[in-house]
Amino acid sequence: MDAVLLLESAVNGALVGLMYSLVAIGIVLIYKSSSVPNLAQGSMTMLGAYIVLAISTGVGAPIWLAIPLAIGVMFFVGIGIERLALRRLAGRPVIMILMMTLGIEIFLRAGTMTIWGGTSRPISLGISDAPLFLGPLLINRAYAFGAVVALAMFGLFVLFFRTRTGVVLRAISDDYTAAWSVGISVERGVALSWAMAAVVATIGGVLWGSVQGVDQSLALLLLKAVTVAVLGGLDSIGGALLAGLLLGIVEGVAGSFLDPLLGGASRDLVDAAMLILTILIRPHGLFGRHDIERI
Amino acid sequence: MEQPSVAPILSLNNVEVIYDYVSLAIKGVSIEVPTGGMVALLGANGAGKSTTLKAISGLLTAERGEVRRGEVTFLGQSISGMMPQDRVKLGIAHVLEGRRVFEHLTPEENLVAASAVRSRHVMKRNMDRVYGYFKRLHERRGVASGYLSGGEQQMLAIGRALMTEPKLLMLDEPSLGLAPFLVAEIFQIISTISKDEGLSVLLVEQNAVAALDIVSHGYLIENGRIVMHDSTEALKRNPDIQEFYLGGAKGKDFRDIKHYSRRKRWLT
Ligand SMILES: Nc1ncnc2c1ncn2[C@@H]1O[C@H](COP(=O)(O)OP(=O)(O)OP(=O)(O)O)[C@@H](O)[C@H]1O
Ligand SMILES: [Mg+2]
Repeated sequence: MDAVLLLESAVNGALVGLMYSLVAIGIVLIYKSSSVPNLAQGSMTMLGAYIVLAISTGVGAPIWLAIPLAIGVMFFVGIGIERLALRRLAGRPVIMILMMTLGIEIFLRAGTMTIWGGTSRPISLGISDAPLFLGPLLINRAYAFGAVVALAMFGLFVLFFRTRTGVVLRAISDDYTAAWSVGISVERGVALSWAMAAVVATIGGVLWGSVQGVDQSLALLLLKAVTVAVLGGLDSIGGALLAGLLLGIVEGVAGSFLDPLLGGASRDLVDAAMLILTILIRPHGLFGRHDIERI
Repeated sequence: MEQPSVAPILSLNNVEVIYDYVSLAIKGVSIEVPTGGMVALLGANGAGKSTTLKAISGLLTAERGEVRRGEVTFLGQSISGMMPQDRVKLGIAHVLEGRRVFEHLTPEENLVAASAVRSRHVMKRNMDRVYGYFKRLHERRGVASGYLSGGEQQMLAIGRALMTEPKLLMLDEPSLGLAPFLVAEIFQIISTISKDEGLSVLLVEQNAVAALDIVSHGYLIENGRIVMHDSTEALKRNPDIQEFYLGGAKGKDFRDIKHYSRRKRWLT
């Protein structure tokens, strides 16, 4: 295999990896504020894409209008999920909470199947199929666009967590009893993090939907997102970004070697190996926050 | 027993608290804190001191605790059943046992987070006020709070509570694990704030020696019941108190006989 092809797989892999990060960031946001591992993030991503489609085809709105409207709808879907399903579970064993998010994931997949069926529908963002030329490298335009959006979202979150509301959310994730003691409404903070996760899910859903079409298989992005979130340390947004890059590059490079030998499943194998190895070797992930030890 | 002459800012009337629907933690507790006054609540491990404070701040619910009987009145208004954040808004601040600063936030961010119930305008002013009382916090305002010394963390925990503009400040064992000179310094600052700003203080302590130096009244709680209430002078003269809480002639800290395992209690 020649160097150009290798580099090309690495660069395209990195771009895809940033798009995984976008899905993973939703998991991180919720985990940070309430220690809930959200297994419904993949199907929330799928739902976001369906809602964009429903608004653009159903109402006939142009895509640039349908996306912000869908983001608005999903904001309240996020709040609703927290309010109706999660809030009353506060204080229950984590395993019950985990099962609840799994229940939501199944519900959303079955729900969209009932309403919109299972045939794949396209979302067009008007990005051309023709590759970008970066010297001798061919770069996928849709991936490049997705990666730029992911980076922009990351930048927004970095800024957000420095605002007063952002600091309050970080305080909740540090110690919520202490947060209560200074008058922070922990419930509102957690609801806000679900809303933000639903918003990023919509953006991720549109980008991924434009790449692979919109159907229930979008929910499978959960597997990539979980790997990225765990590798990044579960509670670190920056960690999710770097872990996404890493997973994308490894997947892209390994895939270009292994695909001819193993067929199309090699990327998922690499993904699974990364997840399993991270949990075995570095359960805190690469950038996970551990409790501060004073010397 | 002399009664405080000022109307109380806080009164507990026959309060009973249970955890997990069954275990009775405090029973028939009645306490008054006079407006602008400083009162101590003394007692041994597991006596019910923290439970009493949580009943006042509303943090019981987070631990599946419940006020089953009696009433908590603040500024003449019953606050039973109110959410913690609404009580903070009314002017009740609870500095938790074990400091519990937001470790991954800087001191400055801790103060910002604690101003959630107050408007943005007063935040800066309150922050300057806190830095004025605790100069060391200002010097260390940019490092992660988890790396502060125990004394600095206690100052931060108190400063954080002051950001909510409390009328009543409740402190749960602030002297825990601190060198005596630091305890004296912190208690002195609390005294000053109380005198200068009319802040009422309810101080929970096992370190009776230090506590009785700054308060005017004290309650003694044992096994969930108030067993004694008197002025500081009378308490210091009381032979039982001298023996068990002031360590007899040796002046021993009551805390020496206890062992602690303190960990964050998570809701999970
Ligand atoms: N979350 C809880 N669930 C069940 N029981 C509790 C809980 N918290 C406290 N208790 C019980 O209530 C009683 C009073 O506890 P509390 O923490 O109020 O004592 P304390 O006087 O603050 O003791 P310490 O000096 O050790 O802090 C104890 O018997 C304790 O075991
Ligand atoms: Mg206690």
